[in-house]
Amino acid sequence: MNFDFDLIVRSFPLLLMGAGVTIQISALSVSFGLLIGMFVAIARLSKLWPVKFLAGIYVDFIRGTPLLVQIFIIYFALPMILGTRIDPFIAAITACSINSGAYVAEIFRAGIQSIDKGQMEAGRSLGMTWAQTMRYIILPQAFKRIIPPLGNEFIAMLKDSSLVSVIGFEELTRRGQLIIARTYGSFEIWLTVAFIYLIMTLTISRLVDFLERRYKIDDKH
Amino acid sequence: MISIKNIHKKFGNLHVLKGINASVQEKEVVVVIGPSGSGKSTLLRCINYLEEPTEGEIIVDGIPLTNQSNINKVREEVGMVFQRFNLFPHMSVMENITLAPIQVRKMAKADAEKIALDLLVKVGLEDKARAYPEQLSGGQQQRVAIARALAMRPKIMLFDEPTSALDPEMVNEVLEVMKTLAREGMTMVVVTHEMGFAREVGDRVIFMDEGKIVEEGTPEAIFSHAHEERTKSFLSKIL
Repeated sequence: MNFDFDLIVRSFPLLLMGAGVTIQISALSVSFGLLIGMFVAIARLSKLWPVKFLAGIYVDFIRGTPLLVQIFIIYFALPMILGTRIDPFIAAITACSINSGAYVAEIFRAGIQSIDKGQMEAGRSLGMTWAQTMRYIILPQAFKRIIPPLGNEFIAMLKDSSLVSVIGFEELTRRGQLIIARTYGSFEIWLTVAFIYLIMTLTISRLVDFLERRYKIDDKH
Repeated sequence: MISIKNIHKKFGNLHVLKGINASVQEKEVVVVIGPSGSGKSTLLRCINYLEEPTEGEIIVDGIPLTNQSNINKVREEVGMVFQRFNLFPHMSVMENITLAPIQVRKMAKADAEKIALDLLVKVGLEDKARAYPEQLSGGQQQRVAIARALAMRPKIMLFDEPTSALDPEMVNEVLEVMKTLAREGMTMVVVTHEMGFAREVGDRVIFMDEGKIVEEGTPEAIFSHAHEERTKSFLSKIL
């Protein structure tokens, strides 16, 4: 077998564009996931049982089913109810955000529960409502503590986003498939794709390490 | 000012308060003493409903603690100081003190800060407005916590073992602030092991044991002429 280094060089710009799209989906999905996750985490800690129950079902359902199946449901099954096609980009972002939301919710919940309960008591004793105490006292502290696990969630999303290639969305993995379909350079291209994923995840995990250390020193502010 | 009628509190099978009746008059300083596990902290925390009594009635400043809106109203009028300070670690001293006045009383930031500065002068920490809680000693943190509670202009102050988590040399600076408050006529309920404080500042001392009020009276009556055996035996161990 001949290793075609030139193929890698020629394909690299295209793959990098795919990597850009991968980062974009992951960042958007984790951002939406953060928003979803925050509200779901609060809902799971709520005293209103229907709210708590529904939030629990959401988290269980998403974490208990494969992301690939969730993508199929949104891209193939949902249009049958809606009666209209869904754009692959919208479908990809929606599926990944809903998926990420469930994992982020658990991260958030752990973060909120790690805050000393005296903080809530102090807030309430000053006449602040539960919501005000959450917003001004509990969440800002919880948020700092969950930065490292959120970084890990971002890395997981970055890798899992390769699954949206199945609905034809052109992120890094899909780009690789397309190039191979033209050139038959399976070996060279998949290795390169793997290498690009690795560089991205390593970079992010270093960044998370850095933030973690910074917040450890700076824990209280 | 505070009226407590037949309060019971159970944690599962644990019967912590067994029918407490008590009242506190305006400007009165009531000191609650008793062995640990006697229910004194739980009783204090029932007054602002941080603990919900299993049974019984509490009325604070004419407001019965029956629904959430009343509970919030009462909490605005009742300040609380905790054993472990519970300052907000992500906020400066100034932000700790002004948060509730701004959010709850809807006070303008500048007004809230002016009040906060006056209070910091009062507790002797005017130079610490910009500091963060972790940069302060325990005694300083507790004085900030007192200022934070006072910023809401409460009618009643509750103290839950305010000096128990402090190094010995810092106890006095906190007690001094509390004495000043008492002299100014603040209505106070203080759970403490500081018998010197109880004797000097208390108008009335309540001795609790095993979820009940065993005996109450003036500091003189309790410390020098206790009637109940349990009171005498407790006092003999700690004095």
